[in-house]
Amino acid sequence: MGNVTPTITDILHAEEANLAKFRRALRREDQIVFDDLFTAAYKYRAAAAYAGHLLPFETFLLSMQIEDHKELMRLREEVKTLREQLKQVLSKQDE
Amino acid sequence: MNNFTGWLLDVYPHPERGVVLWLICDDGQRRCLRQDFPVTFFAAGPSRRLRDLWKFLQNQLIRIELARTERNDLINGATVVLAATLDLPFWLPELFQTVTNLFPDLLFYDADLHVTLRHAAEHGTFPLARCHVTVDEHDVIQEINVLDSKWDIDYEAAPLKILTLETDTDPFHKEPEKILVRAKRDRSTLDLKKEEATLAFLGYLLNRHDPDLILTAHGDTYLLPLLLNLSYKYNRPLPWNRDPSEEIRQKKERSYHAYNQIIYRGNQIHLAGRVHIDIHNTVMYGDYGIDGVLEMARVTSLPIQTAARVSPGTGISAMQIVTALENEILVPFRKEQVETPKTTSELFRDDMGGTVFDPIVGLHEDVGEIDFFSMYPSIMVRFNISPETVGSEIKTAEAVAGLRSVVKRADLGLIPKTLAPLLEKRFALKQILSNMNVLDCRYKDYKARTAAHKWLLVTCFGYLGYKNARFGRIEAHEAVTAFGREVMLIAKEAAEEMGFRVLHIYVDGMWVQKLSCNNKEDFQPLLAEIEKRTGLTIALDGVYKWVAFLPSRQNKKIAVSNRYFGVFQNGEIKTRGIETRRHDTPAFIRDTQIEILDMLAKASNRDALKDCLPEVREVIRKKQNDLRFGLVPPEKLIVRQTVSKNLNDYRAPVPAFSALQDLERAGKTLRLGQTVRLIYTRGLPRARAWDAVTDFDSRTVNLPRYRRLLDRAIDTVLQPITGEDTFWLTGVKQLAYDLPPSMVCISVMAQTK
Repeated sequence: MGNVTPTITDILHAEEANLAKFRRALRREDQIVFDDLFTAAYKYRAAAAYAGHLLPFETFLLSMQIEDHKELMRLREEVKTLREQLKQVLSKQDE
Repeated sequence: MNNFTGWLLDVYPHPERGVVLWLICDDGQRRCLRQDFPVTFFAAGPSRRLRDLWKFLQNQLIRIELARTERNDLINGATVVLAATLDLPFWLPELFQTVTNLFPDLLFYDADLHVTLRHAAEHGTFPLARCHVTVDEHDVIQEINVLDSKWDIDYEAAPLKILTLETDTDPFHKEPEKILVRAKRDRSTLDLKKEEATLAFLGYLLNRHDPDLILTAHGDTYLLPLLLNLSYKYNRPLPWNRDPSEEIRQKKERSYHAYNQIIYRGNQIHLAGRVHIDIHNTVMYGDYGIDGVLEMARVTSLPIQTAARVSPGTGISAMQIVTALENEILVPFRKEQVETPKTTSELFRDDMGGTVFDPIVGLHEDVGEIDFFSMYPSIMVRFNISPETVGSEIKTAEAVAGLRSVVKRADLGLIPKTLAPLLEKRFALKQILSNMNVLDCRYKDYKARTAAHKWLLVTCFGYLGYKNARFGRIEAHEAVTAFGREVMLIAKEAAEEMGFRVLHIYVDGMWVQKLSCNNKEDFQPLLAEIEKRTGLTIALDGVYKWVAFLPSRQNKKIAVSNRYFGVFQNGEIKTRGIETRRHDTPAFIRDTQIEILDMLAKASNRDALKDCLPEVREVIRKKQNDLRFGLVPPEKLIVRQTVSKNLNDYRAPVPAFSALQDLERAGKTLRLGQTVRLIYTRGLPRARAWDAVTDFDSRTVNLPRYRRLLDRAIDTVLQPITGEDTFWLTGVKQLAYDLPPSMVCISVMAQTK
């Protein structure tokens, strides 16, 4: 009964709807990427709500960035392990 | 002079002499006593207008004592008021109606309060209080002492004589032919066709048993109105009221908006000297039964008949009124405070709900669920949040976490004062319950009472922000949520520092997981740490053997909060937000889902879950075949929907529309907020109303639609375990059928990806 401001989910839905035309003009493979980005924004709704930012879209952009960076860090870590494994394999072959 | 000891059953005003009290005396007699009980109401405003009011009240036929005095307003402090005292409380509502019409510009206090609440504040009484009274030779009470407290955990229960009345069928579905009457060991069946004989026998039963409580099914909406009409037709009045001089009070049905829902309240019939409860017109009867109703009346001081029929919000507001009267604080007729102006950024910052962390989707093992004990009410008590203690204008106050407002910590506020004893009682009962054997004879009663307390405490927070609440204030409401977010984040930080992974947070509950923490004791250090940091009580709800947090239906990559199912270590299943919890799920589908969950509950871990799958698939095949071959009885396929629109407002022939049309044709119109029961049918009309169609043809059932609902319910509980969509079950690719075409397109792409 207290809340009068729109919820963060409402805002995110509205932002997504605002960009519907943009999405329509994308190639199908790009549309999939677009949807993935918004999924990332959905994942951080709780934090965006708590921040109470006046321009919530900025927090959504940051959410997408966080999700991307998380993936980047995971991939870096994986490349590192793979490299080490490769090194071991190569050194064994040398022997 | 006579002395009586007994239980107070009913209090109501009398047109000629104060109030009437009904006492269930220790000797078994039910005594009707009277008491002088003058009541005062106050008015404030410009002195010229107060003088006019004074003159008007002086010229009334009933005796009114007038005085100019000073009283305490909760927010504004000492206020000069005109006090008008009536010897006969009976006439106050009528007088006040005239006064508000003539003097709409004045502020009124203590004017529209239930006489029972005034009596409670003045004499400490409450429904079924154990009292000792001294009366004179005319049965007028000279002295009344209450011997027990409403906050007692165990008390001597009143020996209520109960008479039960019910019809042989649900009157809305089929015209009943018989009335079943039960009292003690007596069981009788009365034939409604033999009207006069039924009346005569019912009159005999009422006289013979002289019940304190008449418990009916559909008594408010059907049975009692019918019997009253028959009484009138044959001029044979029945002794429904114990007090023959009183008339039977009826309240009309109504629909209203609350929490974005339309709620329907049926017609009500209140008796004098007896209590009438209609189990179908009692709020939350299914949750707490008669024990809960009596507890609700006890703690709120509302008359039992009223307490049974009002929302918990009215209950909590009654408790606040009693506290205000006891502390000589004026109770405003209407709320006068408005919200302090805010800038947009302040509004964005302050107007927020609780902390929610979307869950990590999937199946998790060894998860502990910890909940703050009545979080919002506890916050109100712990941080002294009340309309008069919150606000930026108060000096010597402490800041609310993250807000501009401040809270005054000295002097307990009205709301904390009201809530503290209730919280204490609930906590004590919970403690007892946690160590009690389920077979203990007190278990059911205690459980019902804690359920009643729960609803009162849940609503008390909403009432702080409710626009019509007498003691509401939006800043106080915001302060509660701000503290709520703060303590939850503190709890989350504590958990993460101690090595726990936070899976989900939902306002006052947190789901945490740590390697090899699967015992109650493993979570104790965390609970202690959170209690130390926040000062609030937190408890372990249980440790799950496994719990599955479910994704959104529209987008499987997104988690949704508060939609999960899991099994505690003691085997108890907990579900939220899935089909079994929804009111519109047909019984057949609910039963199937529960059956599957029961089978899964036997598994203690992820591997064991996979092992039960063949057995589960067998059950699913059987259910699907039952549906296909028409072996499911139609009543198991009934879908219940709340009527939210009038017939003319529908723009598409949706199932609810067809069902409402059926009902209209059968002459049974539903009001907004009532429930329509329908069965989906093939073609047009899309559904038939269960209560309007007498010759339902089960061949018309829309089997594919039920099949989809069934598969969806199965998918909900199996998907997290198999990790695959249940396309294998149906052979057909399931799209999100209820979505607009644009969204379907998106989900197809997500799947093709």
